[in-house]
Amino acid sequence: MSIVKVEPSVWSHLDGHRHRELRVESDADGYVVTLRGRQTKVKIEDPRAWSATGAGKAGSGVAKVLTPMPGKVVRVLVAVGAQVESGQGLVVVEAMKMQNELKSPIAGTVKQVQAVEGATVNANQVLVVVESDAS
Amino acid sequence: MFRKVLVANRGEIAVRVMRALREMKIASVAVYSDVDRNALHVRMADEAIAIGGAASSESYLRADKIIAAALACGAEAIHPGYGFLSENAAFAALCVESGLVFIGPPASAIEKLGSKTSARELAKKAGTPIPPGTEEALPNAEEARRIAREIGYPVILKAAAGGGGKGMRRVEREEDIEAAFRDASSEAERSFRNADVYIEKFIVRPRHIEIQVLGDQFGHMIYLGERECSVQRRHQKVIEEAPSPFIAKHPELRKKMGEAAVAAALAAGYVNAGTVEFLADETGRFYFLEMNTRLQVEHPVTECITGVDLVKWQLRIASGEPLTIQQDDVSIRGWAMECRLYAEDPDQGFLPSPGEITSLALPGGPGVRLDSGVYQGWRVPLEYDPLLIKLIAWAETRPDAIARLERALEETHIGGIRTNIEFFLDVLADASFQAGDLHTGFLDEWFLRRKKHVFSDADLAAARNAAELEAKGRKIERVEPAARSKWKQ
Repeated sequence: MSIVKVEPSVWSHLDGHRHRELRVESDADGYVVTLRGRQTKVKIEDPRAWSATGAGKAGSGVAKVLTPMPGKVVRVLVAVGAQVESGQGLVVVEAMKMQNELKSPIAGTVKQVQAVEGATVNANQVLVVVESDAS
Repeated sequence: MFRKVLVANRGEIAVRVMRALREMKIASVAVYSDVDRNALHVRMADEAIAIGGAASSESYLRADKIIAAALACGAEAIHPGYGFLSENAAFAALCVESGLVFIGPPASAIEKLGSKTSARELAKKAGTPIPPGTEEALPNAEEARRIAREIGYPVILKAAAGGGGKGMRRVEREEDIEAAFRDASSEAERSFRNADVYIEKFIVRPRHIEIQVLGDQFGHMIYLGERECSVQRRHQKVIEEAPSPFIAKHPELRKKMGEAAVAAALAAGYVNAGTVEFLADETGRFYFLEMNTRLQVEHPVTECITGVDLVKWQLRIASGEPLTIQQDDVSIRGWAMECRLYAEDPDQGFLPSPGEITSLALPGGPGVRLDSGVYQGWRVPLEYDPLLIKLIAWAETRPDAIARLERALEETHIGGIRTNIEFFLDVLADASFQAGDLHTGFLDEWFLRRKKHVFSDADLAAARNAAELEAKGRKIERVEPAARSKWKQ
């Protein structure tokens, strides 16, 4: 499979030898993709709406902070063992040319950091695990 | 020939006229409203003059401002395009009074043909068939029965003062005519306070077929074949073609209709390009509908199959040159079909969809003609007709023309706004359309059986893939830039 951007918002897609050209435009609630004059809607979560809701439980317990959509890790703000407050920034991920700070949903200690600066991450990938001190 | 011509219009038709002017080495003058300063027709013109507010009533419909603009810049003639002032007899007369040439018929011909009753009368005198019936009120049901027997069923009873379907009754059989007459009269009385009802032959599944005529100031007039415009939505043509698939099967009709059209136009003292519209029934009988005293939106399909440039001839005829084409010189070659691409949303009841054109891909290749009034980055204004582009395909046969139009539509992309491109792809794929089995109610029936395109899973996966990458805003695989040309190595 090969996909390249041939013009702004125009993608040339090769699936084996099968070629498709796709025009992508943003829409109110996602994207409209045009393929040989025909259009279909594709919904993708807007990273601008990112918050700490990607985490497991809020308030107490163990929180897994994960990415709601694919992107690139720009900065890692914490290290294992660090004490964090609820709402404190943990990792900065870039998607759709927007930098988004993933915040801790709980106060506690950072148990794991799986994010590496410069790395590409997939949707729903766990980046940081925070454990509540109370638990 | 003129040295400078003002085009009293906007959009694709203004661009079309200016292209002819440029080719004829005639200076072009655009007029524009407040929201059209950066419109394509202004960009195409040699000179441009502001004529007022965005509303047409403050600009493109202001005869006084347009004539003042023409006089100020020294234009000798005004081309009105279609719509706006093109069929306004008072405007045509005002041009002449101001010492300007109106590129179109004389004001008297516009006036005679503008009223339905006087046009019908003219056509009748010229021997052009009109729908059988009466225009005077019927005195009683007995008279309705007598005339219906004469003209044949089905017939339609219509309120003389009517409109909007009120006081109308379609009658299939003689035993129903008395009740229908009673119902129609009482409904007419209730709706319009006028019980008068007249009777007309009801034309079943009519086709809209029109004849292009072209005549000079010396009484020489020819017809340039027909166009079929039966594919209509709310009486608005959406696909036009030439020749007509019906006349292709009944070729003897072309000469009959052509001569009837020329006779009606000459009877009105018509000069320049015009169109006589007919309704034709399934048996090949045809009836005069009206005459359009201007260049038509769909004129390109005629130009494609005849090779005649109608706009250039309009200019030559208006400047007093004789029409040098004889009827026998006119031959029809191949098939042409036009789609009107509108800024409208077919999924939202065809509501206008104005806004910025964020991306624009246009088709090319053999047999494709594109009459556009837009460009990338331009904002489609709210104030005017949402026609953006006319896409015309010419090919040797009708099936080839359909395939070519489909191909050209697939190459076309107008981003940022909604358009009816997909609607056209669906109509072109319809079996009845492809068979040329058309009538003016075609689309109403088609909407009920419309087959929506279904994407394959692989198409949808590719679409998602592209959208995700677009969202990420970066390339997965970069195209290696050639460091230097390997040409001649």
